[in-house]
Amino acid sequence: MNEVITEKAQKEDWEPKIIAFLCNWCSYAGADLAGVSRIQYPSNIRIVRVPCSGRLNPFFIIRSLVDGWDGVLVSGCHPGDCHYISGNLVARRRFAILNDLLEFFGIEPGRVNFMWASAAEGERFAVLVRKTTEIVKKLGPNEKFKKQW
Amino acid sequence: MQEKIIFKKEIPKLVKELTKEYVFYAPKNVKGNIEYKRVNNSKDIELEFLNSKVPPKEIVFPRMETMFTYTRNGKNIEIQKPKKVEDKNIIFGIRPCDAHSFVLLEHFFNFGEFKDDLFLNKRKNTILMGIGCNTPRNTCFCTSLEGHPFKKDDMDIFMVDLDDRYVVSPISDTGKEIIEGLSWLVDAKEEDLEKAIELSKKAESMISTTLEIQDSYDFLDSQFSDPIWKEISETCMGCGSCSFLCPTCTCFDVIDEEDQYNNRGRRMRIWDTCQFCLYSLHTSGHNPRDSSIERCRNRILHKFSYYPTNYNLIGCVGCGRCIQLCPVNNDLRVILKKLNEIQKKEEKTIVA
Amino acid sequence: MVDIKNENQKIEEKMRNVARDLLKEKKVDLIIGYSEGTLPLASAPVFIRDEQEVNKLVWNNSCYVNLAKYLIPNIRENINGEFVDLKVGIISKGCVARSIIHLLVEHQINKENIIIIGINCNGILDRRRIEKDIGAHEITETEVSGDYLIVKGNKFEKKFKFEDYMNELCKHCKIRAPPISDSLKDNIVGECQEVDSLEDPFEDIIDFEKKSADEKWAFMNEVLKDCTRCYACREACPLCYCNLCFVDQNLPTWFGKTSEISDILIFHMVRGLHLAGRCVECGACSSVCPMGIDLSLINRKINQIVKDRFDFVSGLSLEKLSPMMTYKMNDKQEFMLEEN
Repeated sequence: MNEVITEKAQKEDWEPKIIAFLCNWCSYAGADLAGVSRIQYPSNIRIVRVPCSGRLNPFFIIRSLVDGWDGVLVSGCHPGDCHYISGNLVARRRFAILNDLLEFFGIEPGRVNFMWASAAEGERFAVLVRKTTEIVKKLGPNEKFKKQW
Repeated sequence: MQEKIIFKKEIPKLVKELTKEYVFYAPKNVKGNIEYKRVNNSKDIELEFLNSKVPPKEIVFPRMETMFTYTRNGKNIEIQKPKKVEDKNIIFGIRPCDAHSFVLLEHFFNFGEFKDDLFLNKRKNTILMGIGCNTPRNTCFCTSLEGHPFKKDDMDIFMVDLDDRYVVSPISDTGKEIIEGLSWLVDAKEEDLEKAIELSKKAESMISTTLEIQDSYDFLDSQFSDPIWKEISETCMGCGSCSFLCPTCTCFDVIDEEDQYNNRGRRMRIWDTCQFCLYSLHTSGHNPRDSSIERCRNRILHKFSYYPTNYNLIGCVGCGRCIQLCPVNNDLRVILKKLNEIQKKEEKTIVA
Repeated sequence: MVDIKNENQKIEEKMRNVARDLLKEKKVDLIIGYSEGTLPLASAPVFIRDEQEVNKLVWNNSCYVNLAKYLIPNIRENINGEFVDLKVGIISKGCVARSIIHLLVEHQINKENIIIIGINCNGILDRRRIEKDIGAHEITETEVSGDYLIVKGNKFEKKFKFEDYMNELCKHCKIRAPPISDSLKDNIVGECQEVDSLEDPFEDIIDFEKKSADEKWAFMNEVLKDCTRCYACREACPLCYCNLCFVDQNLPTWFGKTSEISDILIFHMVRGLHLAGRCVECGACSSVCPMGIDLSLINRKINQIVKDRFDFVSGLSLEKLSPMMTYKMNDKQEFMLEEN
């Protein structure tokens, strides 16, 4: 992943690879609705379904950056709508701290993004994925954690 | 072969010539810590130093080393051994205690049928060009372990610092070859050699710690459960600083890393320490060294009892780094004195 | 005029008196404190069981170890064939007491077994920094005079202004003695102080954040480059008590254990993440680092995040839960992506 991107780094047609963690009950269903309604959204994201955004260990996000993903997107239910009542609320605190700490260490703001999207918000999901892809594309490839293989 | 003189102002010339053929390691000031790093420019060398923070074992036994790399091809795995490094190294400015540690490291990595190629290849290509210690530290105790601040036997070339110049004595055949190659060196005068002897005596007198180190602490094997170990290890936090920066500690961990997106991986070895509680954890969940008592005891016995039993050598060089670095000031000298007292009590009981 | 030597002597006397009384009245089985080190600028933690040994306790400005570390696992001894939890008296500077309070909040120690012997800490010296400044000379003796530290060796003598050469975190410290609260009044003897709220402008953090992302990355790389992954920082921290640290996990292996810079950065970042809302800024991690790395910036940042977002300072009261243990419906979420 790292080498392939370095070569293409300067090219106009470089496309970022973004990993998206979507909660099963709201965001994944929202993505599904977007698909069924034929709403186009960029194919840069690769979706990983999790039961709840509260399942997300910050390690998943950091490990994705270490592995070379250019961007990470995390999406859950709106606060108050969590299928497990409070999963997204504990997650929100974790994301807040992780976000601030990543920025402090020098990871460009915009590489890791968080959002809420419900099962009925297919259009909103597509809009926010487009937004994320644009942001990450402007930031360029993620080369900070490259190892000396 | 006659001793030579290198003037300190000639060091740039020396570095320029030696770096043609050798990778030149010398003490360098890295953010306040002295470490042996590769130098190409003599300006980077720090000649005013007591001893380095990280011992030079790092050069022949690096903190992390790739053992092999592999690539996956479907279900097949292809292993690539790392290319044999043919570099010849010179470690400039190594101290006699650290030079002696190389002897101990060699015993460990070259034991009977167990020959560690990764280490031995580097060791046989490494030349030690050391300097005697004009000002030993308060924590040095090499003289209690058959060492000396001016011991030259373990080096290839030995130098004495006479303020503006070094007296250079070639010791091994490789050392002689190198000195012969530096044909521009002038011969040392009688007064230079006399000054060197004077400095040697002065350095020996400056060593303020004398310990009665027994030939072996085997008697302690029978005192395995002696309450002395609890006393010694009570404040130990198990931080590992002592073993990481000990010139004779050799424990390592082997880890596999995989880059799943590129179908490749590598097996690495990294420094490890018996002071970590996971070090001796069995897969069954049982841990024979569950508390700091067993771990501290293991470290002391390893250096002063198991090493003499296996290799007829004491596994400590008296550099004092563990004493300087221990965050809770667990002083090895105090520990050894306590252990000596136990042996004296033992002897009295036996005699009685 | 500051007279540190005088302050130290007073602290030492009060501390010894309290310790002696506690042992005499058998209110504790064991006292954990600091004793004179065998090297200048060092101190050694000591376990005292007898009032005759109380004079071993010292207070000098090299008492950098956070003694709360020794409380986990529980100190037990085999008394007449039975394992009994000992009652422990701990010599506590403000930060040590805060770690103890936070450990009580996290239910890791028993309140009945702890007595906090409070002292009014006047600052800890940055030993590694002083040694680096002295360079290639052996330090044989140190002395405090007025508000200066005088370092002596073979043919040299150097003066250091005390407040400049304190630990970075001590310079920002506002809680020098254990914080007192009603629920703890039976467990604290000696010095203590009332703390209602803590104002910390975090100017150093705000300054650092003015840098660009690349500059911050380069700075962090530079500071953490020397890390040897010895984990002394983790072992010295009383709040790093996990049975299996995340770096040692291998099913799955999350992060590398090598000393490559990317692995080093991840270790410190994630350790900082795990200490959010828990770190008491005692500075033990930086003091025990054999390479002399200064971790204060990371510690201060995680505390600034927690203070700004959740108005929380760790280790002040037994009642307030750490922000990572709870949640609120109206937590700030300005970082979330929105459609407009």
